[in-house]
Amino acid sequence: MKIKNLVAVAAFAFFGGIFRYLFSSNLGEWGIMVANLVGCFLLSFLTYYVIERDLLAGWLNLGLGTGLIGAFTTFSSFTTSVLNLSKSNFWVGGGYFLVSLLGGFFAALIGFILAQLLVKMEEDK
Amino acid sequence: MILVGFGASCGALLRYLFTYLWKQLRVDWPGATLLINLTGAFCLGILTHHFPANQFTILFWETGFLGGYTTFSTLNTELVAMYNDHQWFNLIIYGTLSYLGGLGLAWLGMQF
Repeated sequence: MKIKNLVAVAAFAFFGGIFRYLFSSNLGEWGIMVANLVGCFLLSFLTYYVIERDLLAGWLNLGLGTGLIGAFTTFSSFTTSVLNLSKSNFWVGGGYFLVSLLGGFFAALIGFILAQLLVKMEEDK
Repeated sequence: MILVGFGASCGALLRYLFTYLWKQLRVDWPGATLLINLTGAFCLGILTHHFPANQFTILFWETGFLGGYTTFSTLNTELVAMYNDHQWFNLIIYGTLSYLGGLGLAWLGMQF
């Protein structure tokens, strides 16, 4: 384990956490959902467009993927948001759960498909 | 805001450490992310219901540390990788354990 990688993860996560906080402090639970869905798309796209093709240095991959986007999205607040929203209205909590679950998967799927399309277009050139 | 950032740095480092150690085991299954997300959900349940809701707890530990420790994007990127590899069994098991396990453990953390 290299010190450079640790520093990259910590430094990028610092901003990832703050970006998420900007969403959640303005939009509450819904801000967390937006951050999570955007993050799913970004991480999947980054993984298949940049990381898998070794376009950047290893420490930068870790910084952006594990640090920035990893810390931008959160699973723990997602679970407590579902439970808290369900307490006042079961359907709102259930909807939040389903939109996050399906939306997260499809956002990541779109990121993956888009990355593959772009890679193919570049190869065809 | 600085507290959130530092908390997220510490949480992400712990997540990186667990993922790194898991990779040494050479098990072709995202067990590290599952462990991280389930323990993080449980701890957040405990924190939000059994600890004084002061600025430090909320900003450093809850939003920062546990927010940075757990991850939603890695979970879904791993699910899409399973989908792409046609690992339907793994996809269902990993998704179910993460979502139902996470909700169950967060709920459990809020009890006692």
